[in-house]
Amino acid sequence: MSRIGEIVETMSTGFVAESFELNQPPALGSLILVQSGSIHLYAVVTYGRTAGLDPSRHAVRQGTDMVSDAAIYREHPELEHTLRTEFGAALVGLAVDRVIRQHLPAQPPPLHYSVQTAPADEVRRFTDQLQYLRLLLQTRGEVPSLQVLAANLREVFQQRGEDHDWLDRAAREVATLLKGDHEALLTVLYAIDPGEQTGGARP
Amino acid sequence: MSHNRLGAVVEGTFADGLTVRLDPGTTTEQLRIGDFVVVEGAHNRYFSLVSDIHLKAADPRLLADPPRDASAFVTRAMAGTSTYATVQVRPMLMLEKVDEFDPRALLGQQGGPQPVRTIPMHFAELRTADELDFSTVFGHEGGVNFAMGAPLTMEIPICLNLERFVERSNGIFGQSGTGKSFLARLVISGVIKSKAAVNLIFDMHDEYSFDKQTEDKRWVKGLRQVFGPQVLIYSLDEQVGRRAGRNVDVTLKVGLNQIEEPDIMLLTEELNLRQTAEASIGLLRDAFHEHWLLKLLEMTPEELEGFCTSSGAHPAALGSLQRNLKRLQRQEYIVSEASFSALDDMVEALDRGKHVILQFGRFNAVLDYLLVANLVTRRVRQRYEDKMRRYEETKAVADKPRPLMITIEEAHKFLNPAVARQTTFGTIAREMRKYNVTLLVIDQRPSGIDPEVMSQLGTRVSGKLTEERDIDSVLTGVSNRGALRGALESLDTRQQILVMGHAVPMPITVRTRPYDEAFYAAMGGHARPHGTDSDVRDLFGEE
Repeated sequence: MSRIGEIVETMSTGFVAESFELNQPPALGSLILVQSGSIHLYAVVTYGRTAGLDPSRHAVRQGTDMVSDAAIYREHPELEHTLRTEFGAALVGLAVDRVIRQHLPAQPPPLHYSVQTAPADEVRRFTDQLQYLRLLLQTRGEVPSLQVLAANLREVFQQRGEDHDWLDRAAREVATLLKGDHEALLTVLYAIDPGEQTGGARP
Repeated sequence: MSHNRLGAVVEGTFADGLTVRLDPGTTTEQLRIGDFVVVEGAHNRYFSLVSDIHLKAADPRLLADPPRDASAFVTRAMAGTSTYATVQVRPMLMLEKVDEFDPRALLGQQGGPQPVRTIPMHFAELRTADELDFSTVFGHEGGVNFAMGAPLTMEIPICLNLERFVERSNGIFGQSGTGKSFLARLVISGVIKSKAAVNLIFDMHDEYSFDKQTEDKRWVKGLRQVFGPQVLIYSLDEQVGRRAGRNVDVTLKVGLNQIEEPDIMLLTEELNLRQTAEASIGLLRDAFHEHWLLKLLEMTPEELEGFCTSSGAHPAALGSLQRNLKRLQRQEYIVSEASFSALDDMVEALDRGKHVILQFGRFNAVLDYLLVANLVTRRVRQRYEDKMRRYEETKAVADKPRPLMITIEEAHKFLNPAVARQTTFGTIAREMRKYNVTLLVIDQRPSGIDPEVMSQLGTRVSGKLTEERDIDSVLTGVSNRGALRGALESLDTRQQILVMGHAVPMPITVRTRPYDEAFYAAMGGHARPHGTDSDVRDLFGEE
């Protein structure tokens, strides 16, 4: 488990964290963890954003003909201090004494607590159940919930070692959840179809 | 959840049956209309029939715009969720559950499945029927339970209760080529073997007595060869008996004195009779009693005229009647005068437990068949009525006539609405159960049979039928026609039948058992194909 950020805004349905690495928020849809006492809170990344520290000031162009992309950051080390990367996450479950429950926690995670990546075995254990997809489907944020859902399924599929049985099961669960709206369903299914996309779309 | 689960009940009414949503893993191709399935309620097990299958989509927009280039993954995910199937299931019988783990003990306790009086609650499980279910409902082979065949997907016997079968008149139907006559042989063999009844078979096309080639060029044995001297062969045609290996026990002659008015009226169409015939015959009968026909045929034109003057008959009508009836006289098997002793002996033989096949040989025109079958049956019926009256007087078991099953082919000729009220067969079909005589009606056009007769049939065995009116007719007076209609239409042409009615607890689609060596052996096949002269002498004395 590695720490990747710190919570800077928190509420019952999710939180916003500042990433330790500039321009390196965790993958959209990936599972992350917050440890609050004996309780592990699970959340799914719903967006990532990098902007200036001062919200009233837009970032301005720094590149020249000679300097572009990564070289800009080498030329302007102060950018590391004037920019920040944040990411949002939706809470999808918790574990008390390693018993996993896929519902919202009673308390939001404490502010300034660390956010960690979820190791592969945790991902596997958590995603054996699929009720959390219902919570995920109800998130409201910058990224449409269907895309977050699809991103999550792609991520988990990869982290479970391209577990096709799991993906089929999850796809049927999604089909059940979206049975009343077949356009939405197709949006998700096309986005997670492993036959068309090999590997999760990483930034 | 059992391994053969198909889905869960989601809707239903007692009147219209249950709607079951199939599980995502179940495809509609696994099920057929008319399949025997089981709904596991909380307290009862419901033995049911699949009556319809629906394809559905959770979002109606999907139907308007089905995904065109969807990959296997996408279709797999949608199958059973966004798109799903429901089946209509009709409970036919129910069995109260006492001990989940030992339904056999339960069966002994309760005396078998009962008519359906309730329906199960939501989410009751639908599953395919297993062997235990089949045997719970259809019983085990042996005794009066005769195995007709097996369910389409299993190798266990589906039994006909022959005791119940012979209690009513029955029908065997199916388009031509569906094996009606083999089916009839099968059923008759069962009746002979189980001694549930004695048989009188009017064998129009010489199919039942001796070996016959099937449509797939196989030779199969006749009833005489399977059951030996238990089966007596009567023939109208002396030549039949002369063929090697075809021993005929009695050659039957019909006397003009035996022919009665209803026999003639039945032949109206065949003999081209006018509407005045009935009145003319009435006058003749008044004058000459049972010799009316002989007298009429012997009349010279002068005598004819004289009779008309004395009786008031119309000369032209009588003349035409005489001309038309001369056709009868030309038939080889018709003699001027014959006693009823041959027929009475036949009834006695039946009463001793023998079975009789009446062959028509060369005389297999509709005219011969109608005339002889009706005449013989009338006599048999009279004798049975006498016997039954006697039994009612004495109440001695020895006097009780054996149940008799009369097999007729081309049944619509005797039982069509125009003549069913006049023919003996019509009478038997409507009321003769009380005299212990029933019919086995074989026909390919059941729609030609009087609906009143059809509704009286106890057990109906039908091969494939496609004609709408025939299907309606076979299902006359049957509940749950929708499911059975589908089942009838979806039968294979060969070896698949639908059995419904009095002799089976619920309608069932059956793969008929083959009529082959194994079957002959099961019937206790006789090694002796012929050589029954001694038996005949025992029965009839020297002829």
